[in-house]
Amino acid sequence: MEKSKLGRIILVGAAILMLLTTYLAVIYVPLPQTSVKSADKILSSVEGSRIRVAGFVSEVYAKDTNIITGSYLFRFSIADFSDYQRYIAAAAGDQLDSQWWTVRPIDVVLRNPPGTFLLSVGGTWDSAGTGTNLSVLAVVVGSGIGPNSNITGFHLRTYSQEDITVGASPGQFGIMTAPVAQKIFYFHMPSAWVSYLAFFVTLVASALYLRTRDIKYDRWAFSSAELGVLFSTIAITTGPVWAKQEWGVYWRWDDTKLVTTFVLWLVYIGYLMLRASMTDTGTRARVGAVYGILGFVTVPMSLLSSRVAPLLQSSHPQVIASSSGSLSPEAGMTIGIAIIAFTLLFITMLIRRVEIAESEEELEELKRTIGGED
Amino acid sequence: MRAALAIAWKDLRIELRSKEMLSAMFLFSLLMVLAFRFGFEGSVDAGDVALSDLGASSLWICFSFAAIVGMHTSFAKEKDRETLEGLLLCPVDRSSIFLGKVLSNMVLVFLVDLLSILFFSLFFAYDFEGNAIAVVGIAFLGTLSLVLVGTLVAAISVNARAREVLLPVLLIPLIAFSVIIPSVSATRKAIAGDISEAVGEIQSILGFAVIFGAVGYLTFDYVLEG
Repeated sequence: MEKSKLGRIILVGAAILMLLTTYLAVIYVPLPQTSVKSADKILSSVEGSRIRVAGFVSEVYAKDTNIITGSYLFRFSIADFSDYQRYIAAAAGDQLDSQWWTVRPIDVVLRNPPGTFLLSVGGTWDSAGTGTNLSVLAVVVGSGIGPNSNITGFHLRTYSQEDITVGASPGQFGIMTAPVAQKIFYFHMPSAWVSYLAFFVTLVASALYLRTRDIKYDRWAFSSAELGVLFSTIAITTGPVWAKQEWGVYWRWDDTKLVTTFVLWLVYIGYLMLRASMTDTGTRARVGAVYGILGFVTVPMSLLSSRVAPLLQSSHPQVIASSSGSLSPEAGMTIGIAIIAFTLLFITMLIRRVEIAESEEELEELKRTIGGED
Repeated sequence: MRAALAIAWKDLRIELRSKEMLSAMFLFSLLMVLAFRFGFEGSVDAGDVALSDLGASSLWICFSFAAIVGMHTSFAKEKDRETLEGLLLCPVDRSSIFLGKVLSNMVLVFLVDLLSILFFSLFFAYDFEGNAIAVVGIAFLGTLSLVLVGTLVAAISVNARAREVLLPVLLIPLIAFSVIIPSVSATRKAIAGDISEAVGEIQSILGFAVIFGAVGYLTFDYVLEG
């Protein structure tokens, strides 16, 4: 009795908070600042020792837009940039002297609102001079092209590769180029979080099952994995919707976060398939539990990949404790509520799913009794 | 450890007599390399594709699928001939059975690895020169990690229906990021001659080998029960 009451409270709470999240995300939260402010943010971090350069070092864009072709794109050097106005005034696709300075309107590249633009700075550095070759493409987002450009104090100066942090996209440095699309984040990130949580529940329940051999834990493990797959499917489908707007492509195979999450999704689909292909309850629970534990190896990989990125780089934005561009207070509150809402939703769904599993087993049992055979 | 060696030796002796698995894996990798040779005929001739790229990726496709074929058989055969019960009745730790199976699988899969490298060099008229040792070394490390996790998953999937299909479905996502990607990257570097740059990859492979080995060693008890 008490239990069902608590269940109902959680259900109602989840429903209210989901509605609230939707309201906050769609109406309340102001659009994220794009352009200058963010650009300033990068530039302010330029002052000092280390220079941050957000670069579209991606073939995807080259293929997509056909503006830049050839491998020389990846051979860029950053030189004195104090004379920025000259470069900003340069027409799109201009090539100046031996170095290539190009200004590309961002709507050409990413089909973004006109007015914002992407300034890519680059050029080959005659290696005969210093023998140094920097593989960087600098990008600064601002608003308006021309002498009245809002970019001020743009000053980039570096002589060694150590001074530069290369980014795969402006998003990595907290710059959003597609503000409206960003709203999907309030559903994307909580879904992803819930899927990690669900897989963690599977891990714990699996371990408990192996320890106690209580079939109850197996039901929890299985139900949670099923919900985890559901929520990671949501995360994995809402992500590309945003990515198309922000990055110009739906998916990037050079991004660790995306690939590891995809792999994680496949692992737990495998888990569900494994469960489906076994009839004996005991074996299914036992073997499923082992795979549930083994499969969890992929979760930290996916969760941490946008931070540690061991082998490949990731341009997936970081949210929590990110060193660059943190969320505005409104956005922070919304995401907090969204996370609570999704977590509560997950809990209610999990309780219901376990109940269904119980009923299913009961039904099997009844069938067996009535059939009179075992 | 002695029990593990005994089990491994038993498996290898059966294999030496029947040569069932080895010949299957051998033909499999031969056909695989051949398929790559035909598939990339045009681009190889035109020099459009870097042989280090093609080599690394095709070799690892050979390795992993040959390993899947081999590891599947190592348990499926025991199950079908009903010798698995006998094995379980052995008065040894289940973990020793795991280690034994890992050892025997490792020997077989590594042999096939070597053959695949040879076939590649033969069919693509590619000279590994001094890098052959590095390539073989990476193949060894990657295969070790692959076999550690694969043996466990093979034991898991042997209980299921449609186990032939299920093994790759369960195994490939697990190894994709932990074994295949770093190994392919390290092999590419090894072929290109700068193995010293592949430290990160090797660390990653070794780290996952330890994780998979530990999980396998600890949970194998539960897999082979009843």
